[in-house]
Amino acid sequence: MGKEALPFSQRLFRALVRVLPFDFRTNYEGEMEGVFREQQREVEERGGPLGALKLWKETITGIFTTAPREHWQILTSDCSYAFRMMGKNRGFTAVAILTLALGIGANTAIFSVVHSVLLRPLPYPQGQQLIFIRQQETKLGIPDLSFSVKEIEDYRAQNRTLSGLVEYHAMSFTLFGHGDPERVRTGVVSANYFDLFGIQPLLGRTFLPDDEKLGAPPVLLLSYEYWKDNFGSDPGIVGKTFEMNDKVHTVVGVLPPVPQYPNENDVYMATSACPYRSNKMHLEDRDMRMMEVFGRLKPGVTVSQANADVSTIAAGLKATYPKSYPENVGFTSAVSPLQEELTHGARPTLLLLLGAAAFVLLIACANVANLTLARMARRERELAVRSALGAGRSRILRQLLTESFLLAIVGGILGLMLAYGSLELLTDFVGRLTPRAREIQVDSGVLLFTLAAALGTSIVFGTLSALFSRANLTSSLKEGSSGAGSGYQQGRVRSALIVCQIAFSFMLLIGAGLMMRSLFKMQQVDAGIVPQRVLAMRIAFNWSKYNSADKTRVVIQKLLDRVKSEPGVLSAAISSRYPFEPEMITGGPESVSFSFQIEGQHLEPGQAPPVSTYAAVSPGYFETLGIPLKAGRMLADTDSDDLKAPQVVLMNEEAKRRFWPNDDPLGKRVSGDGGEHWATIVGIVGDVREFGLDHAPSPEFYGPQAQGPQPGNLVVRTAVQPQSMAQALTRAIHEVDSQTAVTHILTLEQARYESMASPRVTASLLGIFAALALVIATAGIGGIMALMVSQRVREIGIRIALGARPSSILQMVLGQGMLLAVVGVGIGIAGAVALTGLVKSLLFEVPPTDVLTFGGVGLTLLAAAALASYLPARRAAAVDPNVALRTD
Amino acid sequence: MTKKRETESFLPLTPAMFHILLALADGEKHGYAILKEVARRTGDKVRLSAGTLYGNLARLESEGLIAESDHRPEVVLDDERRRYYLLTEFGREVAVAEAERMEEALGQARAKKLFRKPKLA
Repeated sequence: MGKEALPFSQRLFRALVRVLPFDFRTNYEGEMEGVFREQQREVEERGGPLGALKLWKETITGIFTTAPREHWQILTSDCSYAFRMMGKNRGFTAVAILTLALGIGANTAIFSVVHSVLLRPLPYPQGQQLIFIRQQETKLGIPDLSFSVKEIEDYRAQNRTLSGLVEYHAMSFTLFGHGDPERVRTGVVSANYFDLFGIQPLLGRTFLPDDEKLGAPPVLLLSYEYWKDNFGSDPGIVGKTFEMNDKVHTVVGVLPPVPQYPNENDVYMATSACPYRSNKMHLEDRDMRMMEVFGRLKPGVTVSQANADVSTIAAGLKATYPKSYPENVGFTSAVSPLQEELTHGARPTLLLLLGAAAFVLLIACANVANLTLARMARRERELAVRSALGAGRSRILRQLLTESFLLAIVGGILGLMLAYGSLELLTDFVGRLTPRAREIQVDSGVLLFTLAAALGTSIVFGTLSALFSRANLTSSLKEGSSGAGSGYQQGRVRSALIVCQIAFSFMLLIGAGLMMRSLFKMQQVDAGIVPQRVLAMRIAFNWSKYNSADKTRVVIQKLLDRVKSEPGVLSAAISSRYPFEPEMITGGPESVSFSFQIEGQHLEPGQAPPVSTYAAVSPGYFETLGIPLKAGRMLADTDSDDLKAPQVVLMNEEAKRRFWPNDDPLGKRVSGDGGEHWATIVGIVGDVREFGLDHAPSPEFYGPQAQGPQPGNLVVRTAVQPQSMAQALTRAIHEVDSQTAVTHILTLEQARYESMASPRVTASLLGIFAALALVIATAGIGGIMALMVSQRVREIGIRIALGARPSSILQMVLGQGMLLAVVGVGIGIAGAVALTGLVKSLLFEVPPTDVLTFGGVGLTLLAAAALASYLPARRAAAVDPNVALRTD
Repeated sequence: MTKKRETESFLPLTPAMFHILLALADGEKHGYAILKEVARRTGDKVRLSAGTLYGNLARLESEGLIAESDHRPEVVLDDERRRYYLLTEFGREVAVAEAERMEEALGQARAKKLFRKPKLA
């Protein structure tokens, strides 16, 4: 018998009624349809289309005003019921909320970092159009060559894809006219630099094209922070004058509080005001490179189009100036989005942490689902009664989901507070990985994420628990049991959830374990120096005062003589850099690499010349740092600028291995300027891990400061605690020249410790996540075993009554707990092996499948599981059969 | 005292609720009959739609002002899909309280001469 098709109006009415809550429909839908039919009949009898229209209007309005009221009513009653239930089960509520808070908090914290650093566009108008341009010498392994003035002019004139191209370099200058002479970090930029970024000044103006012309009156822009901290946000600052580099500089504006890339500076000046950038050599010599270059893509232009554009320019330069761009260095240029440029160092670590946090949330979810299931077993009678009283399935599901959602929301709010509290710490950590760290904040995106995490979490564990308790609703009333009928199926689900928790915890623990082993290995590495009791400080002479090599040489010698006379100083040296110097850790060996020529060695056409790093040091450097001499002699005071004194260099053992594997390099000559000057190798010193403990030593040359002054740092070996001498040494330096800035004072041990900050913090965060996971999973095993024991008291009682010994009961319960743990660890091992690719790049001398770590973690988890199962097992063994058999 | 306060907590009733209670005052009715009675009594000024009617019936029923009647008409007249509703004792009290509240308001309006005498038909 075929069903008669309903008229369209009835079908439409039914569709409309679906906006009403399910229970309401179950109760009234049939009657409503009846009423509507009657009304329709009446309208038809009266005739006229207006009546029908009026009826529809009233019907639609009626349904749509009733629906929200009905939904709201259910929600409020569910919420108040849920709150009552939460109050009744305080233990469960507290554990569930805390677990969720930890899971959601960990995710919110890491997400706020990922969102601010990786996802959010740069805080400039059309930030996605901003690009970073780099020149490269690929055959020399130099990925980031600076630009010379001539090159910038060429790129600016020849490019067809950029709407603007600006330069940047940072220097330290001394500022007079505001209390004591003060060293200020100065960004030297093109006139249109701020226009390109789209930054409007807070006060005054930014630079104008005229400011950049050679000989233009020097002007300054102050950064917001410098203006606020040093001038108390003086609104009348514009127009004030200061002296820098022997010239009067006028303040023309103040920048708004925007993130400053690539470095934070106190003040900005136009290129013409920088004494270095504007000297003849820099203006005319194509090889004098020290600038970084940014650009903005023309609307509609892609990064790859810009890439093709700049590489064409680079090819043109190569053809026109073969001397500056020899064939064998592999010269080229490329662009990358600025956003990517600023964050690529942070990306792998942040994504790893986000993954780890997601694992913690999954574990928390599984744990709360398990807790809820366990509670369901006790609530089945209550739910069955409600069901018998007429609450539909969906009504009960809705009620359970509301309860889960409330738990998750409260957990989410707590988690948000946790995340907020950890932001400062995280910002500090991420600051080592990317300059965008200061943009980290909890904003609406993060709040949405937290809400979504809470909602998703509650849906996962709420639905799970609701689905698996539904099956038992009707049976439990009939059985009249107190949850013993919760069933085999539910038990299996709970076991599966425990196995998942253990597997995920295992993977997290492996991640943390590998990072810690890696850190430990790093700490064991011999850096090639004796870092104890060495103090390093950055010194910067007043450029305008010491503007020639001769003057610099004299002041260096004076300064060293004075410092060495200080009581407590064992030795001292001036060097262009020192091991673990923070800037070197960031920049890597490429930032101080140079290509050179070995006398008598002929390169095949296209063959890349040898590349090494270079440092200018005064003779006491090796003694001060404890770098041993391996062959030849150390640098001496006789290696001077005297025309009769031959130019000399030392090199490390790695350079010998690399460039003279079979010869004795002593007495050989090398040139770094295409053969104009030659330096003789006079000694070989030990290898030093200059650029971080995880960087194998690279070939290194050391030249005497006297033959090419590059002052930058003072390193001092002291007889006492090095930090205690910082003041005395600063005073001594100022006695020689009061305008010398002394900054970045730290001991070599501090520098060494700081150089490991990034892996250390990554390991710590992963460790915290893993510890959280371990605690949650262990508590989960303990909880489920305890529940199992309490549900099987009767059965255990019978077993004991039939002669089972307490030890065999203990073994049985322990065995069941351990079985779950072993299966979990097994799955965890497979998962961890599959995921090793994620951590591989962050490890140091530890294979991603390190047997020791896997074994240690496995044993730890199994031990924790055994401990967690032991307590319920002991309780089971102590069951009194007389009592047990009498229990219902 | 408690009961009075409970009654008063429903006041003022919405016009739809009041008219539904009025419709049930003289005997139990099914939904469509309530709807018809309200329209007839108000000269079509108050027209309830199916949604509004059952939304209000649900509220009144859950608050105990009305109840479903077990009493069914004779089999020939009965449509089994229909449910009949009756006014509970409590519902009656609330309706009376609402009528009194209205009367009092009316009295005050009269005293202030804000009341037009009804024209005789």
